[in-house]
Amino acid sequence: MNHHVLPPLALALITGLAVPWLLVRARWAQQVPRLGLAVWMLCGAAFALSIAVLPAQLLLPEETSHRLVDLLLTLHAPSPGRLAAGTGREYLAAAAAFAVLALPGAGFVREVVRARRARSRHAGLLRLVGRYDARLGATVLEDARPAVYCLPGRSRRVVVSSGAVAVLTEQELAAALAHERAHIGGRHHLLVAAAGAFSAVFGRVPLARIGGRTVPLLLEMAADDRALRGCSRDALATALYALAAGRAPRRAFAAGGPSAAVRMRRILAPQRAGHPVLRGLFAVATAVAAIAPAVVACCWTG
Amino acid sequence: MRVRRLGELEAEIMDRVWLWERPVSVREVVDDINRRRKVAYTTVMTVADILYRKGWLSREKSGRAWMYEAVRSREEYTAALMQDALGDSQDRRAALLRFVEVMSHEDVEALDEALRAARPGRPAGEAGRGR
Repeated sequence: MNHHVLPPLALALITGLAVPWLLVRARWAQQVPRLGLAVWMLCGAAFALSIAVLPAQLLLPEETSHRLVDLLLTLHAPSPGRLAAGTGREYLAAAAAFAVLALPGAGFVREVVRARRARSRHAGLLRLVGRYDARLGATVLEDARPAVYCLPGRSRRVVVSSGAVAVLTEQELAAALAHERAHIGGRHHLLVAAAGAFSAVFGRVPLARIGGRTVPLLLEMAADDRALRGCSRDALATALYALAAGRAPRRAFAAGGPSAAVRMRRILAPQRAGHPVLRGLFAVATAVAAIAPAVVACCWTG
Repeated sequence: MRVRRLGELEAEIMDRVWLWERPVSVREVVDDINRRRKVAYTTVMTVADILYRKGWLSREKSGRAWMYEAVRSREEYTAALMQDALGDSQDRRAALLRFVEVMSHEDVEALDEALRAARPGRPAGEAGRGR
């Protein structure tokens, strides 16, 4: 074992434990959900990369592992000649790294494929029993229970039940539809799938555990913000309430609930954000700065 | 484009089968659609066959023609879709993105309270519209 495992280990600890712990408490993340989402995604990528490099560093001889850290930090790809001239041990290390990366990768693909299959089944039925309403720009389902949802991805469409059309005023319906269109336009289903895959693969790591429930909530908030560009706060909040109250509550699935209350308070009383962007960037910079000393200690003096 | 038209035709055929609530022949469907737009007998026959293979229509021979009938009612299919839409199914993986998730009674009350707090002097949500 050599000390070059320390940079990826430090990065894995920071992105897997420290940043999620800070991020879930950070108020700016909910004020600027898109920036919060970006930080979660960066954390996920950095975490996956660092735990992939970890076994490679253990397998490599000291000289090579030193250079690998250099290459990753300076984002220099090794020359093709160098790649071809690798030793057996180096190939083994590369294989180990890719094997670790393949775990979340395969999880993501599985998640996307499963969801796509479920959606295309749903869309096939919807085409038969739904009625497209050109004025709403949405498919209407004849059912008294109020519901508004969207099918993102290939068979993209926004769906409302006739119950929702009856319960909501025109402005409220427009607000709910704008929210759903924001999901579709922002390809939010991919981030949901990524968060799902991450928590399936790295379930016990705080990054995966906290991210798995925070990312979907931030996506809802991002869609709320997008909808608020074209509708009033009151319309969106009332739509949220009317749809929540208009259906039979189920205790078994209460887990989905509190997020709506958080969204509601956020929609109705937007806190003054100060300089949220700066704060967000500050948090990112803090994370980077925290890694830097370890790297410097390891590679410039080592 | 062709795929899209076939999809529309599937819906048009199912509409009539559900509306008439009896076994229908391809000829009846063709004649009815032809009142509004031109459609070939063979096309409808092909699509009815597709619907049969997909398990949406059942059929029985009557003389030389097939008589088609819906396997399930429109309401049954709608109920299945609504189950997905309301998040009632056990599979909580997000294939659909819902405007609100299923929530408990307490959470709905919390929403009501938040709405009330935001606009004093006005009854919250639905009460304001006399529901």
